[in-house]
Parts: sequence; C-alpha cells; structure tokens
Amino acid sequence: MVDALTEAHRILRPRGLLIDARPDSRVPAYAERRTKAGRYLRAGVIATSRVALDDDRASDRAIATAAGGGWFRSLRAGRFWHRVLFEGRPELERYLEDHARFARRVRWTVDAKGRRRWENDPWAIRRAVQYELFERV
Amino acid sequence: MVTSTSAVGRLLPPISSLLRPPPVDELREYGGLGLIRRKRVIDIGCGDGRMALGCAPYASEVVGVDPDPGAIRLARAKARELGAANATFKVGVAQELPFADEHFDVVVLSWTL
Repeated sequence: MVDALTEAHRILRPRGLLIDARPDSRVPAYAERRTKAGRYLRAGVIATSRVALDDDRASDRAIATAAGGGWFRSLRAGRFWHRVLFEGRPELERYLEDHARFARRVRWTVDAKGRRRWENDPWAIRRAVQYELFERV
Repeated sequence: MVTSTSAVGRLLPPISSLLRPPPVDELREYGGLGLIRRKRVIDIGCGDGRMALGCAPYASEVVGVDPDPGAIRLARAKARELGAANATFKVGVAQELPFADEHFDVVVLSWTL
C-alpha cells in the first residue's frame, strides 16, 4: 500500500489532490427495514469482519506513513453514510454470507416475530464511508 | 445516499458498482465537482469504471487503472456506451503506473487502499 502511495505521489503534480475513500470500519453498519412511508428503521447491527479490520488498519498505517513522510498534507477528512438496498431480508442475509467485509450474521435489535413480519419488505445495509483529501507536497 | 440494487445476492460480481454510491454523490461529499473540473484525473483501482466514468463529463482527461482485465473490459464498454471520449482504461497495478512524473492533477483511490 505504501508503494501505491509512493507511485501516486510520483504521478501527481505538486499541490495536486489525492482522494482516499473507503468503508469506515470504526463504526458498525446497520441493517434497516424500509417502511411503506419510505422511512428506514434500524433493525440490527452488522460488525466488520476481522480480516477487513486488519486490512483497514494496514491502509491507515500506509496513509500515516505517507503523511508522516511529508509526501502528502491532509486538507480535509470526513465520513458519509451510504445505503445498499435489498429486495427483502433473505437477500440481505445472502449478501452477508458472501461478503468478506462484514460479519456473516446480523446482531438483531428486533425480535424474530418482527423480522418474519417484515421479511419481504425492502431492506438496506447502511454503512459509513470515510474519506480524506490530501495535497501533494 | 442510496444505491439502488434489485439484483444483489449470491451472483452479484464483487466489483459491481451497484454496491457503491453514485459517483456524483460521492464527489459532492468530498467537496463538489470543482475538485475535478477540467483536471487530469486518474482513478487507481477503478474496477468497472464507476468513479472514472462519473468524473469524465467534468474532467479534461480521465484514466482508470485496475489489475483485473475483466473489469477493464467492462469499463471500456461502458465508456463507449456513454461516449466518454476523454476516458481511457488500462490494465495495471497501483505500484507501477505507466505515466510520466507529475502528469495528473487528481488521484482517486476510491475503495482501493
């Protein structure tokens, strides 16, 4: 990863902009149910997998190395939230089974009866994306 | 910010841009289209070209690089479909980019590191 940032530094003009954006594993993702009125209600918490957490820490270290080495200067950082929509709860759970970033099981905050009742409603995973803008030094 | 997906499930390709925010929404979060307007932009780890093609209408030149030849084929096909004449896509790795020093104004690492 540091090699990639070295290369990014080489091809960027001085004072050029580097945008780094990736899923933010410092906060969990959420399973949400969409109501008929179009509101999203939180129904569970989805943890980040251990592998993804390790990868994210490695990315953080690479960025810290590049910034600490004086190649880039941080201009601005932030976070936004993004929803991935599913036709129903089974589709959401199948997605989690195959997706390496998330833990495979939702920690539900609604009971099984509620989940069954809303099974075929639209569902979403709401997850955070972290970003940081850097100026090439 | 919402991504519409009606086909998410076991068969969805992992690079699918359906799982990511629309590029214009993402750019708005970073500070707006002014960041890339009339700039030379490279999207490293571009996948199927989601972000690069989102930048193309505003940037002067966009290059997408990804190690996956299948993803690059998809990106090129989408570029043709959209008529994005200023967008080019290359198979390559982030550690060894075939471009001159200081060629680009903006480097995008979206879901790459």
